Amino acid sequence: MSKPKVALYWCASCGGCEEAVVDLAEDLLEVVEAVDIVFWPVALDFKKKDVQAMKDGEIALTFINGAIRTGEQKEMVELLRRKSGLVIAFGSCAHLGGIPGLGNFYDRESAFERAYLTSPSTVNPEGVLPVTEADVDGFELTLPEFWNTVHTLDQVIDVDYYLPGCAPPADLLMEAITAVLTGNLPEKGAVLAPAKSLCDSCPRSDSKPLKISISKLKRPHEVEPDPEKCFLEEGLICLGVSTRSGCGERCINVNMPCRGCFGPMDGVLDAGAKAVSAIASILELEDEENATEEDILELLRPIADPAGLFYMYSLPSSLLRRSQ
Amino acid sequence: MSGKPKVVVFCCNWSVYPGLQLSRMLDDGIDATVEPIVTMCSGRVSPELVVEAFSRGAWGVMVTGCPPEECDHDGNYSARRRMTLLRNTLEQLGISPERIAMDWFSAGESAELKSAVSEFTEQISQLGPMKSVQELA
Ligand code: SF4
Ligand code: SF4
Repeated sequence: MSKPKVALYWCASCGGCEEAVVDLAEDLLEVVEAVDIVFWPVALDFKKKDVQAMKDGEIALTFINGAIRTGEQKEMVELLRRKSGLVIAFGSCAHLGGIPGLGNFYDRESAFERAYLTSPSTVNPEGVLPVTEADVDGFELTLPEFWNTVHTLDQVIDVDYYLPGCAPPADLLMEAITAVLTGNLPEKGAVLAPAKSLCDSCPRSDSKPLKISISKLKRPHEVEPDPEKCFLEEGLICLGVSTRSGCGERCINVNMPCRGCFGPMDGVLDAGAKAVSAIASILELEDEENATEEDILELLRPIADPAGLFYMYSLPSSLLRRSQ
Repeated sequence: MSGKPKVVVFCCNWSVYPGLQLSRMLDDGIDATVEPIVTMCSGRVSPELVVEAFSRGAWGVMVTGCPPEECDHDGNYSARRRMTLLRNTLEQLGISPERIAMDWFSAGESAELKSAVSEFTEQISQLGPMKSVQELA
């Protein structure tokens, strides 16, 4: 019997998700034993035409990482969708938009202006900007279209499952591959990670008071956090309260509060708004009855970049999608 | 322009909603769609609900609750903090903070409530609808 075919592809991403596959280490050999990797541009020399030559649905499983911002990315993921039985959005960027999704604070015009005209390292006296078609010495050159907005994978193609994280940890990846190989898959659309919150699995949750209230917020550079204590107890914002568990508490273990790369728990429509809700409800002013709007603003002042914090990994997936 | 202003008013079941019914404001000459949504406490109105209202076409969202010391659950304080933080957050996305109002009314204050809603609706009609986001381009 022939082995199931697997493909891996990347779009707007940093390459960390590709590393996460390599992080399987010896397990990767086991995977290669069990499946045929038919397309993986970062590691293997297969071309787009090889994929085009396949039958529809011939690839059993495709992992796609990265957000979608160009016409070329759209074309490739549509092709892979057609050729694949299952598509897994791999990593925060494909899942929720991720760090490239922060591009949605700007539009195409302002991104081009910054990158090609005004940044200090740019020398572009003729003010040349990227165009999709150009005639150079009688040759027609083309570039993919760069969109105004960054998208999650499921805003562009149908996605079967999500593997969250920046990047997804090796154990969850291995579990996902095993689930596909054994046909032991959850309902379509599921996020292949625990349903509970990061606080539930966090080693510091023992020190998390039952009822937390923070009357003075601090920024990470202002405190050296006690490695045993819940960050909230020290007045530091930790998004573990509104983030899905499963990462192995990677940031917490190096004494950094969670920034939400695993995305929200099931049923949450807008991860950023959920985080706003969770954090605002544990703040407290001493004399709340007599507090004015100014007092509240003062309490919130240490949150210098709220949208950048609460939507750090999820702006394109927000119900509001992008800056208006 | 795209039609009449659409405003969602979240009302606490125990204080504001009876007042809202009393004031019969909904058929009272405001040229806008004002949708009241009853909650068991203003503390139940999470930022997610507000964001969802915007994504479904609301031009403005008003959250109303009991005045200080009148809420049995201190939900009003939590709502105020949440709405202030949400305003700060959405402002960075180009959404005017004026689109979210938070105000407190006692059970008997139907006239005040009525004029606050009218004023908010007026302010929102100046702002117009939220810009729609161009998809896949
Ligand atoms: S808030 Fe952060 S540090 Fe505290 S228990 Fe949750 S994940 Fe751990
Ligand atoms: S602690 Fe939070 S930000 Fe860090 S890896 Fe885990 S989910 Fe991601």
